[in-house]
Amino acid sequence: MIEITLAADAWKDIDPGTEALVDKWLVREGDTVRAGQPIANVVIIKTNQEIVAPVDGRIEKILVKSEETFAKGKPIALLKEST
Amino acid sequence: MLNGAPRFRVWTHRSPAVVLGNAQRSLRNVIEQRINGRVELLDRQAGGGAVLTGPWMVSTSIILPYGHPLLSDSLVGCYRWLGQLHAAALAEFGVPAYALPAKALPLASAMIGVRTVNWACFGGLSPWEVVDVDYRKLVGLAQRKRHAGVLLVAGTLVGATDWRLLCDVMGYPEDEAILRRRTVSCEDLAGRLIEPEKFAFALTRLIDNSLASSD
Repeated sequence: MIEITLAADAWKDIDPGTEALVDKWLVREGDTVRAGQPIANVVIIKTNQEIVAPVDGRIEKILVKSEETFAKGKPIALLKEST
Repeated sequence: MLNGAPRFRVWTHRSPAVVLGNAQRSLRNVIEQRINGRVELLDRQAGGGAVLTGPWMVSTSIILPYGHPLLSDSLVGCYRWLGQLHAAALAEFGVPAYALPAKALPLASAMIGVRTVNWACFGGLSPWEVVDVDYRKLVGLAQRKRHAGVLLVAGTLVGATDWRLLCDVMGYPEDEAILRRRTVSCEDLAGRLIEPEKFAFALTRLIDNSLASSD
């Protein structure tokens, strides 16, 4: 299972207490996704940023719902890689 | 958003419009009712709080393709060039202002002495936004990052903003005084009228030069 997170470079130079917001999920649990496919939009420091699937697979579980916030390193979804 | 050469546009505004940040879409219906046809209501795809555009503002939109040399490896770093470019344009008009480094944010927040207004772009400070010596904000920044590239946007308060109108339509009339405290216009700092079209022309030239020298 692969944990989907906001990439570390997005958090660079940002105050440690800052959280990001899941603006919109572009997929649902159970959806099949391709590597590089945008799966969610998140907002941090006035930046709307796309999160893409790292590999082909299926969205197993969404851990942070739309309009909820999350801290650095926290996974927002679980992706089961295609075999 | 396309790959390829950078593109940009500098805007002036004939009439006021409320522009909601992309996380404020759910408020659209109630705000539309409050506006009741007085001004236009728009959405933007970048983050941040609501903005009241109008004849007092000059706006900038710049698209940089992924991998462009002006794009930093960090999200915050992408704001640095944009903030410093606006500060340089303001200097040409005798407006003393600078882009606020990320590390100076805690001090700035403490020195302002009033709370932030989270629903408004100009109600808070983010890294590399442009302020005066009293940490009052003149230029707000936001961006939208996609796999193909980055859209950077900025809004400069050239003249006096109708904060009462914005607070009224957003449902926070009590925040008008705070927004007045947290912001300042270019005209106030320069002590003279500044034509938005002339400032837009200067910004266009500086962006053109910056993009050309980065190729």
